[in-house]
Amino acid sequence: MNVPDQAGAGAEIVRLERRLRREVAARHEAEAIAERGLRDLFQRQQEIALLESIAVAANETDDVNDAMARALESVCRYTHWPLGHVWLVSVKSGMTRFDATGIWYDEATLRDDADPVRTLRTRTEAESYAAGVGMPGAVVRRGAPVWIEVAATAAAEVPRLQLSVDAGFASLFAFPVMIASEVVAVLEFFSREQMVPEDPLLRLMAQIGTQLGRVVERRRAQDKLLHDALHDPLTQLGNCKLFLDRLTHLLQRAQRGADDHFAVLFVDLDRFKSINDGLGHQAGDQLIIATARRLSACLRQNDLVVRDRTLAREHLVARLGGDEFVILLDQLEAAESAIVVAERLMGVLAEPFDVGDQRVFVTASVGIALSASGYADVEDIVRDADIAMYHAKQTGRARWVMFDQTMQQAAVRRLRLEADLHDALARGQFFLHFQPIVAPGDGCVLGFEALLRWRHPVHGIVSPVEFIPVVEETGMIEPIGAWVLDTACRQLREWQHVYGMDLSMSVNVSAVQFAGSGLVDVVKRVLAETAIAPSSLKLELTESAVMADAEHALAVFAELKALGVRVSLDDFGTGYSSLSYLRRLPIDTLKIDRSFVSKLDCFDDKRQIVEVVLMLARALGLDVVAEGVETEAELRLLRDMGCDLVQGYYYFRPLTPADAAQVLAAQAIAMC
Amino acid sequence: MKGIIFNLLEEAVSGTYGDATWDRLLDAAGLEGAYTSLGSYDDGEIAALVRVASAALGMPADEVLRWFGRQAMPLLARRYPAFFANHANARGFLLTLNSIIHAEVRKLYPGAQTPVFDFDTGQADVLRIGYNSPRRLCVLAEGFMHGAAGHFGEQIEVEQTECMHHGDARCVFHVRFLSR
Repeated sequence: MNVPDQAGAGAEIVRLERRLRREVAARHEAEAIAERGLRDLFQRQQEIALLESIAVAANETDDVNDAMARALESVCRYTHWPLGHVWLVSVKSGMTRFDATGIWYDEATLRDDADPVRTLRTRTEAESYAAGVGMPGAVVRRGAPVWIEVAATAAAEVPRLQLSVDAGFASLFAFPVMIASEVVAVLEFFSREQMVPEDPLLRLMAQIGTQLGRVVERRRAQDKLLHDALHDPLTQLGNCKLFLDRLTHLLQRAQRGADDHFAVLFVDLDRFKSINDGLGHQAGDQLIIATARRLSACLRQNDLVVRDRTLAREHLVARLGGDEFVILLDQLEAAESAIVVAERLMGVLAEPFDVGDQRVFVTASVGIALSASGYADVEDIVRDADIAMYHAKQTGRARWVMFDQTMQQAAVRRLRLEADLHDALARGQFFLHFQPIVAPGDGCVLGFEALLRWRHPVHGIVSPVEFIPVVEETGMIEPIGAWVLDTACRQLREWQHVYGMDLSMSVNVSAVQFAGSGLVDVVKRVLAETAIAPSSLKLELTESAVMADAEHALAVFAELKALGVRVSLDDFGTGYSSLSYLRRLPIDTLKIDRSFVSKLDCFDDKRQIVEVVLMLARALGLDVVAEGVETEAELRLLRDMGCDLVQGYYYFRPLTPADAAQVLAAQAIAMC
Repeated sequence: MKGIIFNLLEEAVSGTYGDATWDRLLDAAGLEGAYTSLGSYDDGEIAALVRVASAALGMPADEVLRWFGRQAMPLLARRYPAFFANHANARGFLLTLNSIIHAEVRKLYPGAQTPVFDFDTGQADVLRIGYNSPRRLCVLAEGFMHGAAGHFGEQIEVEQTECMHHGDARCVFHVRFLSR
């Protein structure tokens, strides 16, 4: 056995120590390798868990804020960042805006007011930035993440830098939430550590940004569907459904006893149809869009309704369709406020519209219904505003009318009338009276004016003043007008046969009939069927019906004249006549309105007017018929002035066919 | 107790008192002493080592732990520089104790028991740190705090106002930063 010497033992110890150090170093390296592997594995698991939790949040909720909040929490838990916040990015009229949300993740649930983190949060929520400021702006500009090391950044570059320093944060991070290349939100985080995000984290955050972008995108699609369901595609105003929903809400509030009132304004453009027909649908659409804009703008500016801006107002403009708009005025102080608004609306619509290259002037009729009337049903208040609007139209358009209960009664009566009129023709409830047209010199009956009468099975004779407008508006005038023409001409043929061919028949043509396209054909057919001389038929048209569309009148008149029919202008002097059209229109007769004839002997000016009309007629080679002659004095004057024909109670009231036949028979005997 | 703590203790003892001292402590405690940073070992073993060290070095056991905590910090910094690199000062580092300890320990040892620190940052010059651990090693934690301050070249004063050893729910330290 070798006994190691001192030096040999020393060398052995040194060798063993080296070996020991090698072993320790190897152990440390092995541990480090194992730790690295474990760390990577852990990291990977955490990443997967994070992405999973984000995906779950994104799939479980349609609420963007909720998805964002859950994402913030997941990211903060993963990164150990103590604070996270969301900015929502919106683009309004070309400007990118960043709105600080109340969505936070904060490791501390309670923070007192002096806490600098509390201050940072409060100040952040109070801010909204225009494009390009601070981290959120940089994220949107670049469409990429941005991070800041607080210590290496100048306070001027980042608005909340000092606040972040005060709150003990060393690094700030901001990541985009993207839909394709559009940044729709920015997630920002605050870390106590000075750090630069590494590639795996950036990849992770990019995935999270895309996931959350999908939630926003889905929400947008849903919002769009909802918006489309409640809005008019042409004007982007609310539609009927939205309006009724809002109205229901206000009505319920009113029924709970709230003291605030509201009003419904029903706005309808006057004569929109003729603009639409005249300038084309595209122009009509443009006009509707422009009208919608003006109405909305007018309501937005309208501070007269509620002076206290803190009150929540829910003014709403909606389009029901066509040229019908409804407006909901909330928080109304008094009925007068609704009128003020109506007048302002009418005022803004009265300004000319430039549609295409046309300048168009429009007026509107407005019906107003007030919640103060104690409505139980939304349909009722809209209906009443509609009825009031109808009254505005009836009373001359371009005005507002406040609904009252009598209108409702009138409307109900009208509806009943409409229903009853519906089959009046088929049931033979119509009949004609004939008012003789007389030569003032010898009192000889030269013709008749056929007058439509309606015998209601229950109410008896209904005034034409009441039922004719309904017949016109419902379109029933076409068949009824044709029936009148046909019946009157058959009657004339009979009388001509018995009492002489000189007799003529005047038949009133309604403005609606005249504006339609069927008149000429009906006249042709009746002439063919009755075989009366066309010149013995006189069609009476009112001045306003002719002048409403004088060019159209010219064309129709030309066709009628070609048939040999005579045309007479009714109510002459009451409307607005263009003398140049009067000259161009192939008219045979002017009928002087009864308003000029009545008490002709008592008023000088009436006499002068009649004289002028007679002069005008003579100059243009027209006959003149004076209507409504009731006294001998009136008759004498008219005769002296050289009026060709008269009709009126002085000679005859409108007669039944039998009475008219008797008159004709008596006249025939007298002449024999 | 995690192997890393035994490794750090070994380094601290060997560094200050020589390799032989560590061997003697192991012998005195009757421990095998083959610790790897990846392993987990009985809490009794660290208690035994502290006990024999206290006797051998003539220091109270708490003082041994405090000393160890202080010594361990630079060793940790050498081994895991990343934990320290992201901080400019001790305050910032201390505030991330949970994330370092929890994350690191969980990375390596799923399901491990870890101390929980809580912080009150309401005062600018004093950081209040709560410590809660079934091991009740608050003195070690205090040593770590001093060690951390030393790493960042700072001085701190630590006052312990609550202690689990005295029946409190957790231990609370008021850490005052004196200078940078």
